[in-house]
Amino acid sequence: MPDRAAQFQGQFQAQSQPSLFGDAHALGYEAGPVYDEMVTGTGRLRPHWQTFRETHGPFDPDAMATRWDVARRLLFQHGVTYTAYADPAGVDRPWPLDPIPFLLPHEEWRAIEAGLIQRARLLELTLADLYGPQRLIADGIVPPALIQADPGFLRPCHGLPVPGGRRLVFLGFDLVRGPDGVWRVLASRTQAPGGAGYALENRVVLARMLPDAFRNCNAERLAPFFEAFHRTLSAIAPGAEDGREPRVVILTPGPYNEAYFEHAFLARYLGLTLVEGADLAVRDRTVFLKTLSGLERVDVILRRVDDAWCDPLELRPDSALGVPGLLEAIRAGTVAVANAPGTGLTDSPALVPFMPALAQRLLGEDLALPDVPTLWAGRAEDRGALLERLGQLVIRPAFSALGGKQRFGPDLPLSERQALATRIQAQPEAWAAQDVPRLSTAPVWRDGRPEPKPLVLRVFLAASPEPGGGWIVMPGGLARVSADARYPAVSLQDEAGAKDTWVVRQTPDRRAVQTQSAEPAVRDTATAANGRAGDLPSRAADHLYWVGRYAERAEQGLRILRAANARVVDDSRPGAAEELVPLLRLMGWLGMVPTQFATLPADHAPRGMRQALEIAAFDPANPCGLRSGIERLRRAAGGVRDRLTGDAWRVVSLLERQATALVRPDPATMAVRFDELATTLAALSGLEHDAMGRGHGWRFLVLGRRIERALGIAALLRGTGLAQGAGPDRPALEVVLELIVARMAYRDRHGSSVRRGPALALLLTDLDHPRSLAFQLDVIATKLGNLPKPPVTTAESPAADAAALVREARGLLDALNPADPAAVTALVERLDTLLPEVSNRVGQAWFSHAYAQAT
Amino acid sequence: MTVAPVRYRCSHVTAYSYGEPVTESHLIAHLSPRPHPRQTGRMVRLSLDPAPAVAVDRIDWFGNPVTYAALQEPHRTLTVTAELEVEVSAPPPLDPLATPPWETVRDAAREGAETAEHVFASPRVPAPDPDLAAFAGDSFTPGRPVADAALDLMHRIHRDFTFDPAATTVSTPVRDVLGQRRGVCQDFAHLLIGAARSLGLPARYVSGYLRTLPPEGVADWRGAAASHAWVQLWTGDPAAGGCGWLDLDPTNGVIAGVDHVTLAWGRDYDDVCPLRGVIVGGGSHTLSVAVRVEPFG
Repeated sequence: MPDRAAQFQGQFQAQSQPSLFGDAHALGYEAGPVYDEMVTGTGRLRPHWQTFRETHGPFDPDAMATRWDVARRLLFQHGVTYTAYADPAGVDRPWPLDPIPFLLPHEEWRAIEAGLIQRARLLELTLADLYGPQRLIADGIVPPALIQADPGFLRPCHGLPVPGGRRLVFLGFDLVRGPDGVWRVLASRTQAPGGAGYALENRVVLARMLPDAFRNCNAERLAPFFEAFHRTLSAIAPGAEDGREPRVVILTPGPYNEAYFEHAFLARYLGLTLVEGADLAVRDRTVFLKTLSGLERVDVILRRVDDAWCDPLELRPDSALGVPGLLEAIRAGTVAVANAPGTGLTDSPALVPFMPALAQRLLGEDLALPDVPTLWAGRAEDRGALLERLGQLVIRPAFSALGGKQRFGPDLPLSERQALATRIQAQPEAWAAQDVPRLSTAPVWRDGRPEPKPLVLRVFLAASPEPGGGWIVMPGGLARVSADARYPAVSLQDEAGAKDTWVVRQTPDRRAVQTQSAEPAVRDTATAANGRAGDLPSRAADHLYWVGRYAERAEQGLRILRAANARVVDDSRPGAAEELVPLLRLMGWLGMVPTQFATLPADHAPRGMRQALEIAAFDPANPCGLRSGIERLRRAAGGVRDRLTGDAWRVVSLLERQATALVRPDPATMAVRFDELATTLAALSGLEHDAMGRGHGWRFLVLGRRIERALGIAALLRGTGLAQGAGPDRPALEVVLELIVARMAYRDRHGSSVRRGPALALLLTDLDHPRSLAFQLDVIATKLGNLPKPPVTTAESPAADAAALVREARGLLDALNPADPAAVTALVERLDTLLPEVSNRVGQAWFSHAYAQAT
Repeated sequence: MTVAPVRYRCSHVTAYSYGEPVTESHLIAHLSPRPHPRQTGRMVRLSLDPAPAVAVDRIDWFGNPVTYAALQEPHRTLTVTAELEVEVSAPPPLDPLATPPWETVRDAAREGAETAEHVFASPRVPAPDPDLAAFAGDSFTPGRPVADAALDLMHRIHRDFTFDPAATTVSTPVRDVLGQRRGVCQDFAHLLIGAARSLGLPARYVSGYLRTLPPEGVADWRGAAASHAWVQLWTGDPAAGGCGWLDLDPTNGVIAGVDHVTLAWGRDYDDVCPLRGVIVGGGSHTLSVAVRVEPFG
């Protein structure tokens, strides 16, 4: 392929003023001896960067720092993260986006695009043959070992029909550019390529961060690609002709997968339902989504679960991520899976040496886009060269399904190299090796200046929605830069940065003029998704219910901490020390502090409380502490991230940051931090009220909150000792009224002296007070009444049981005389078993999504 | 002396019992007799109790008949009954010393699609193992005729290993079987396969039944009254002096002939397990299996 950039460079030099030191020098940018994407070997700016440079201005550290800050804030607000498997804490890491985009001229891009489309066609035909007649093997184009030795050749998938007609629907390739300026394919991603969502997110952020440069460079938009991909997913539905709107779902391994953010992001952006394997069931050789109101037919599955894990019945029996019977449903032609199970076969490096022959045989064409030279030890003619050059090559498992790391020959000590050679000789078919690519570099913003860093470009293709088997290419891609020049960053797990890729042109694309140049914001489908009751998987309802419970529990816990801290800060306040006693008792009852704190007398309470506050607020290992509670809230919210509004997720992320930022401050600072957290929690509750559609998802969230609040009221009575009369009434009553936010209400009605009867009435039976127990029970009863009828599996009806239990509790309240201590004690004891049982029955009725097991 | 073909009636009953109701069961059954040159037969009846909502027959990648069945109503027990009628003929007479040297067979093994299939690692018989290669090497001495060496290896397993159902589970690795010298037919089959493949010789796993009553004069008859497993080892193309796939039963130390009924073959147990299932719900479960194979007619 001719180096188009070099041609343009000639034109550029002829037109521009010669500069003594070159543009690179002026930019403070020292490119190395490899191909640099921004400057030429003589240090001139490549012409397609000129518009960017003119609009963006020089790489001024202050301006860059400001923009960098904006970008980071945007990424944080969008909650863009990935999870590192290796991280024992399993925490989400922020997504490392670089503020300088990677620019490619559109003329060059068109050549890459054509080469990629040729490859996509070739891989589709290769898979069709290897999972079909296998003429390629019979005719000796590839040896039998190429598939027989590959654990990624899934025998149950051989001969499987392809409902929808496309085995490959979404593809990725990793490209690298050598010192000769030629782009080569480093790796193919043909089963469930990741990264497109990150590329889109990068674009959303960078287009907002650099609006002028983005507009003036005429960068091609990504949105049309995703819109077309969305149409493709509907078009491949096997039952598309019957007029029903096809249901397309994204199958994710779940929140602990490294790329869960991306799955949730794509689900939301494309308006699809995000599901886990346990959300789906195969009945009558047809795939269904288990929703609250029963089974809903699924037509298309965009899968992000790897090949071998898709169906525990016919593939890996130990997979809990798949759907038992999925292959049988495909066999029956009732569901299209994108990409088809088994397509990981063409990911394998062992296939690379055969690519030119395959192109000749299947297309009658030469490969337009070359591969990074690759040897497969399974071929006798490659084995000798591979072993001889072991110290100069990147050694990789020959088949992607084998897993395992790649090894850099030059880094291997002699002893390890020899051991590796022995392993290769013992099982040659399992090993392949590639030339170490010398990657091109692009500017990356580090320590206040642009630095050249090696780059790998992941590009994406989707099957065209139009009939005819065509392909569309995302104009751009996910550019990955690695910190170490020698190692290409390929996996999202690597410590590396990402760049947005702009395909730029001198003049605007006429086709794009009628649309605005900015990328559309992410569609907020959460509200709509919540409104579509039919599509709420029971697992999602479960998570939303617990978001409600944990949010309320965090609020209650925080209110206790604030009440306690206020009395520690201002210990001169009348009654402060006495009121610390019931507070400590309550904290002990709730498990927030060890039980010995619960019995401290008033004179030891202030000192004890300081220690108790530390344990309850800061100790990350305390399972009932504030930090664990907020972590649980975040996890529950993470499981339904596609169903929360962007604002809600932002608030949850902020909560987590605020909670982990608490590092043993003095009591006054602590008060400020507690106030901040309380405000954030209030914001979450406000969003529930004002920004969520009143669908079933919302009902479960509110139900969770109200059940937790009812449990909290019962705990207040027992925990402070009030119900049992464990101490003097007055301090406990003061504390309780404060904790149910009822001091003002009490004073308005009963004056300043706190008496047991009226206070308990406010707490328990007052229907005008939104924090009374009776009020909670009425809301719970209403919500239970409005939920969909759960699918009945047995004669028992846990939904009806839950409603009956709530009625029983309500009846007990109606009959209660709050002034009678014995009656209150009896009530609280009954509530202690009754309220948790309501929660259990709700779970049995709506959330019982048992997981599949092999027999 | 030629051995006459034998006709069998077989019944195979598998009964599951679950601690809690199962809402959904999916099954893959390799319970039909596989037709091959020495065997004809048919599935007389495959019945499930409770009755399945779905039952579909097909032929799998290896050419074995297979049935998919699904139960979609809650159930606490499941009984699968297969009834077969099969006629098995004896293999042709074998002159082990006339087969080609094993190295010749090894060198050609990777070129043919059918033999290459069974020479590489498979889920239950992983990568080539130096200990297994050494174990096989005691029989496969340089230049030895392949069938002669294979029979020797089979007899060594039969002689040196103890049949012990308590020693292993379905997931015991081949290496452990080699170490402890104990196991059941499935373990011995995997061991022989692993040993052959470690030398580069194709070997495949055969799932089937033994006649219930031992043949005359055989006292030590192991693996009847249940699913049985043995091995087919590639001895080279008959056109090149080999005798194709040779049926070796290391559990009983015999060449599998008229006493063995073949259901399916594949790379290892995972490909051809008689009954593979996935359930949703169910809690813990118990399982009982009864097989009867009786001559008739």
